[in-house]
Amino acid sequence: MSFLKFILKNPFRRKNSAILAIVGIAIGIVVIVALGGITEGLVDTFEETIHAGGADFQISGKETGDSAYGTNTIDASWTDKIANVSGVDEAYPIYVVLTSVGDDYMNTLIGIDPEGTTLADISMKEGRIFEDGADEVIIGEIYADDNNYSVGDTIDVNREEFEVVGIYESGDSNMAGGVFTSISRVGKLMDDEDSISNIYVKVDKGVDAQEVADRIDAEYGDNITTITSVMEMEQMADMLNMLQASTWAISLLAIVVGGLGIINTMLMSVFERTREIGVLKAVGWSNKRILLMIVGESLVITIVSAVIGSIIGVVGCLALASQIGFEPLFTAKIFIQAFIIAIVVGIVGGIYPALKAIRLPPTEALRYE
Amino acid sequence: MIVEIKDLYKSYENGRIKALNGVNLTIEEGEFVSIIGPSGSGKSTLLNMLGALDVPDSGSITVAGEDLTTSKKLNEFRATSIGFVFQLHNLIPNISVRENIEIPMYTQGLSAGEMKSKALKLLDDVGLKDKADIMPNKLSGGERQRVAIARALANDPSIILADEPTGSLDSKTSTRILRQLIDLHEHKNVTLIIVTHDMDVAKLADRVIEVLDGEIISAGDDSLINSKINV
Repeated sequence: MSFLKFILKNPFRRKNSAILAIVGIAIGIVVIVALGGITEGLVDTFEETIHAGGADFQISGKETGDSAYGTNTIDASWTDKIANVSGVDEAYPIYVVLTSVGDDYMNTLIGIDPEGTTLADISMKEGRIFEDGADEVIIGEIYADDNNYSVGDTIDVNREEFEVVGIYESGDSNMAGGVFTSISRVGKLMDDEDSISNIYVKVDKGVDAQEVADRIDAEYGDNITTITSVMEMEQMADMLNMLQASTWAISLLAIVVGGLGIINTMLMSVFERTREIGVLKAVGWSNKRILLMIVGESLVITIVSAVIGSIIGVVGCLALASQIGFEPLFTAKIFIQAFIIAIVVGIVGGIYPALKAIRLPPTEALRYE
Repeated sequence: MIVEIKDLYKSYENGRIKALNGVNLTIEEGEFVSIIGPSGSGKSTLLNMLGALDVPDSGSITVAGEDLTTSKKLNEFRATSIGFVFQLHNLIPNISVRENIEIPMYTQGLSAGEMKSKALKLLDDVGLKDKADIMPNKLSGGERQRVAIARALANDPSIILADEPTGSLDSKTSTRILRQLIDLHEHKNVTLIIVTHDMDVAKLADRVIEVLDGEIISAGDDSLINSKINV
C-alpha cells in the first residue's frame, strides 16, 4: 500500500465527521463557483452588448448625439481620418438607413463592408456574409422568424430585389430585427455614396480605448463625437468590480469558516488517534511524515469538497439561471480559484492539528486511552 | 554488547517521581531478557528508554551502537533497530492486516510490491498468511497480537521490545504468543527484551532483571537463569 493510498483511506474512517466537514467547505465552494459564474456571465453580457461586436467604440456626427444608430450622416472621408489616428487598429464605416424592407414600410437597413461585420455585434447563425456591392442581404434572426424568411429567399429592399444569403444572431435586439448589406450597395440604394452614419473603431492591442477616444475628441471634436461606450463600460466595470469584490469577500469567509471546520475535524481525528500516532512514532515515522499524513488527509477532505461544491455550484446556478433567463459563464478561472481556496483551507486547517500530533510525546501517546 | 546503560536517571513531575534512579545495565546481542517488577517500579520507563521513546535526565544509554542521549536520528534508529510489541496490539483498524505490517516499511523506501511480499512473508512466519487481506477487527485477540509481532519485525530490527505482550490475553493464547516470540528470537537471532509483571513469563528468559523503585535490584545473572519452564 502506498503512502498516498494510506492518506486517501484515513479521512473516511469517521464518516459522519468527514461528511460534516465536506458539507461545510462545499457550501463555501458552491457560493464561490455560483457567484463567479454569475459575475463572469454579467461581464460577458455587458461586453457583448456594449462592445458592438469587436469594436471598442463608435463615432457619429456631432448632431447625432449619443444614439448609436442615428440616421444623420457624416462624410465618408472621416473613415480614413479616423483610421490614421494613433492607436486605431481598424475603422469601418456603417451606413444606417430607414427604408422599406419586405412587407415593412420601414425597417433598419445597415450597410457595412463585409469585412467590417466582425466589428458589429453579430454572428452568423446560418448562410454566409453578403458580398461587396451584390444584391445580397443578411437578416437578423428576429426579423427572419417574424417574417418567415430563410436563406435563399428573395426580399424587397427599397423596391429592389435582394437575396437573403445569411441569418445572424445578435445580443442587441435592435440589430437582431434589422437587415445588413454592403455599404456600397446602401450608398447606391440611397443614391448617396459619400455619406456614412457611424464608424466602428477598434484600437490596437494593449492600447486604452478611452485614450484613443479622447485623442479623437480632442482633434476632431468640433465635427464628430465618440459614442462613449467606454465610459459606460467603466461604470459597469465599477459595478462588476463590486460584484467581484463580494465574491472575494465570500471566498475569504469560506476560507475562515471552512478552515475552522477542517481544524475541528482534524483535531478530533488526531485526538481519537492519539495512540495510533504513538505507534507510528514508535515504528520510526518522522515528524515530517506524520505532518504530511495529517495535512494530506485534510487536503483530501477539502479537495473532495471542492469537487462536490463545484458540481453543485454549476448545476444550481444553471438551474436558477434558466428560471430567470440569465446565462452564467463558468470559466477555468472560477474553478482554479475554488480549488486554490480549497487547497489553502486544507493546508491551513491541517497544519495546526498536525503540529499537535507531532508534539505528542510518544510515551504519552502510547499510554493514551 | 547491544545495550549499555550507565547511571541512568529519569524523574517526572519536577523530580517528585523518580522513575529510574541510577540504572546500570548491559545486555548481550541475541540475548532474551525479561524485566520484572511491580507497577510503577520503572520497568516500562526503562523499556521506553531502550526504544528511544523517552530521553533520560542524565546518564548514558547506548543501544545497537547508537548513543541515544546524543543522537539526532532517533526516528531512524527506531525504524531500523527496534521492533515494538505493546500490551494492546494497536493495529490501525481501517487498513488490512497486511497493510498494518507495511506501515513501518514506509521509512525504508521500498516499493509497494516489495512491501507486500515482505509483509506476506512475515505473516507466514506468524502463521497468518491466509488472513492477510482481512481487517484487524475480524481477528481474535491472539491473532491481532501475532500481527503486531509481525509488524515489529517489519524492518528486520536487532532488538524486539515487548511491553506486557500477553497482558491482555488468556493463558493458552499467552503461551502461543510467547512461543512465537521466542521462536522468532531464536531463528532470527534477535535480542528479545520483555517487560512483564508475570513471573511465569519472566522465567522463560535467559535472564530476569528485577526492577524496584527505579533501581535494578537483580541483574538476573544467577538465581533465575536455569529455572525456565517449558512452553
